[in-house]
Amino acid sequence: MLQTGSGSGLPPGVRVGEALALVRRLYRRPAPFDTTVERAGIGPLLGCRTNHLSGGEAQRVRFALAIAGDPELVFLDEPTVAMDVDGRRTFWRMMRQFGQEGRTIVFATHHLEEADQIADRVIVINHGRVVADGPGATLKAAVAARHLRFVVTDPEPERYDRLEGVTDVEICGSGVTLVSLDADATARDLVRSNIAFRDLEVTGACLEDAFIALTERKRSTDGEVTP
Amino acid sequence: MSPLLAFVRFELVRLLRSWKFLAITVGFPVVFYMLFLGERRSGQIIDGTVPWRVYLMVSMCTFGALVAALNAGGSRLATERSTGWARQLRVTPMPAWSYVATKVTASMLVVLPVLILVELVGFTFGGVRLGIGQWVGLTMLLWITAIPFAVLGVFVGFMVNAETAYPVVTALMFVLGYFGGLFNPVSQMPRALQSAAQALPSFHHAALALDLLASQTLGAGNWLVLGGYTVFLGLALAWKYRVEESRGLA
Repeated sequence: MLQTGSGSGLPPGVRVGEALALVRRLYRRPAPFDTTVERAGIGPLLGCRTNHLSGGEAQRVRFALAIAGDPELVFLDEPTVAMDVDGRRTFWRMMRQFGQEGRTIVFATHHLEEADQIADRVIVINHGRVVADGPGATLKAAVAARHLRFVVTDPEPERYDRLEGVTDVEICGSGVTLVSLDADATARDLVRSNIAFRDLEVTGACLEDAFIALTERKRSTDGEVTP
Repeated sequence: MSPLLAFVRFELVRLLRSWKFLAITVGFPVVFYMLFLGERRSGQIIDGTVPWRVYLMVSMCTFGALVAALNAGGSRLATERSTGWARQLRVTPMPAWSYVATKVTASMLVVLPVLILVELVGFTFGGVRLGIGQWVGLTMLLWITAIPFAVLGVFVGFMVNAETAYPVVTALMFVLGYFGGLFNPVSQMPRALQSAAQALPSFHHAALALDLLASQTLGAGNWLVLGGYTVFLGLALAWKYRVEESRGLA
């Protein structure tokens, strides 16, 4: 299990290699030392003192300690919290590799794009109840809403609201985003309405929209949300 | 090497690499010893049984054991707990009790060289002359009876957090040292303080060793108090560890 907290999760005053060697000893059938080092990508860190690591490096070391026992099942709680973009990418590449070796990885995250890109199966939990369970693509498909983006010289919000299928209008400078439950109808109506738009772009929902739709739907059907 | 031995060795390496720990653990007893030697009360016989120089060496041994045990457990453990390392270890198959047992064992292992160091100071500068059997017996007795200090150190490490650890450990060192009669013989203290000393493990730790040197008999009362402290602190530590563990913070 890999967890994050305020601390590094590592004992101060030892080298990374020593901490890993110790944790391996505590397991009956640990993975070979070098295998774990390679899986976690901590080769260059072995000689470093644990208190001199950056947040992302410490997280990789913690990951190495978590998989030192060669587990079949790994739980990760917000594994990429302290990582920069590069570290995050490297981390997930390693996780994918680790998963392809036939292991199960369960992770919790607030980065929904991470869940979408990495996980084979996404479970959305809202107030302790499972509101959706399936591959990211299925979850997204469950959300009918599409986004229509275009640029106008002079936005007229009250006109966009009246277009067919539009549920929400966002205007940012000269950029307009319409949220529509029937993108085709909205697009036809937009053309008919003689609005002088350009750069029209229609996109599907991202997992974040799906998440919001799923959690809100639950709330509205539940009436009062019980904490 | 068994997992537990590997863990004890790991802890020892960490302790011996910490300059702060070494400076405090070696510095306090040796510097205090030297300061008290400057008082030149070598003519005195303490409690009508042992010469001042023997009293002083035994007291500084007790003080050294106390300093080593409180610092090996106390503040280092408090800092370590804030990092979540113990939590990381709890997901390994290592049994729950072994974390605490390892800490106590590592503390005991650093107490022994401190005792020997203080005895060397006693031999070299303190004018203490004992037979070889007495040296060995004294060292073993002082070491074995330091167990309540080691348990106390680890217990304190679980009770305080990283910020409060230093003042608490320092206060304990001096309260147990002064009121336990390690800096000044209990018989020379006011009456009220004399009875207070009877309640402290530091007093009984030194008293037992002085008994050994003076009369070759070991007071059952001293054993009882030290044993009582060990059992009481051990239970308190076990309770605290369980509470911490159930909160997922241990």
